[in-house]
Amino acid sequence: MTEAADANPPTEAADPRKTAQQLRPGLWQTINERYPGSMIRKDQPVPLAALNKPLAEARLTLISSCGVHLKSEPPLDVCHPFGDFRFQRVPSQSHHEDLIIHQLKYPHDDADLDINVIFPIERLQELVTEGVLGALTPNFFSFIGYNMDPERFERTVVAEIAAAVAEEERADLALLAAA
Amino acid sequence: MSVTVAPDVSAAVKVPRAIFVPWPMGHHFGVPFHTEMQRKVIMAALALLQSAPVSGTIEKLAIPWLQVRREARLLSEQGKRL
Repeated sequence: MTEAADANPPTEAADPRKTAQQLRPGLWQTINERYPGSMIRKDQPVPLAALNKPLAEARLTLISSCGVHLKSEPPLDVCHPFGDFRFQRVPSQSHHEDLIIHQLKYPHDDADLDINVIFPIERLQELVTEGVLGALTPNFFSFIGYNMDPERFERTVVAEIAAAVAEEERADLALLAAA
Repeated sequence: MSVTVAPDVSAAVKVPRAIFVPWPMGHHFGVPFHTEMQRKVIMAALALLQSAPVSGTIEKLAIPWLQVRREARLLSEQGKRL
């Protein structure tokens, strides 16, 4: 054993469940090895956009790859080998009972019990009621986070959601929750 | 602003600001019916929106998963359906 190792003996704190570390370290690398070319990678940082009004006057939208949609609407295609390059609008006044998740790539057993675990729509409604947030956009956005062509994904899903957020929903800020 | 369980992925796509929650996939806002925890994640994201000094800021919400599950069990014992 080296001197350095003696100075820093292994501790029980290595368990990521106890130490607040990433539970699946190296996820980007792992996915990139299993599905080469499927992951988006950027060389330049996305510029910061400042919020130009108080939160209590701002209108928020929620965007998620969790695959949630209204029960009254058909789901996206979860079986296509390349993914489904469409998105769905979710009315922001919906509740858990109105919604269902169609997604195969992450465990959503808990979200099936309480949609707010992955798509905190009811918590955001409460923040508006309390005056913490000014408003919610009429619609939130959902898609399936399994797409094997990142360039096509950016041209379609990303560009179309961005346009809808800015021009139709007129959001001041967006909360993004990848599933 | 983003909420992520995989900061290495968020760093690779260079999101401008993200809250890292060290929890499993599919649990970005915690566990069922733990409204306080769900709210805590949202509030952390809203705070970072206003405080992030530079693009690429990833701030950890240092609540271990075992603590979240322990609190979920307490809620279950209080009659919440889990």
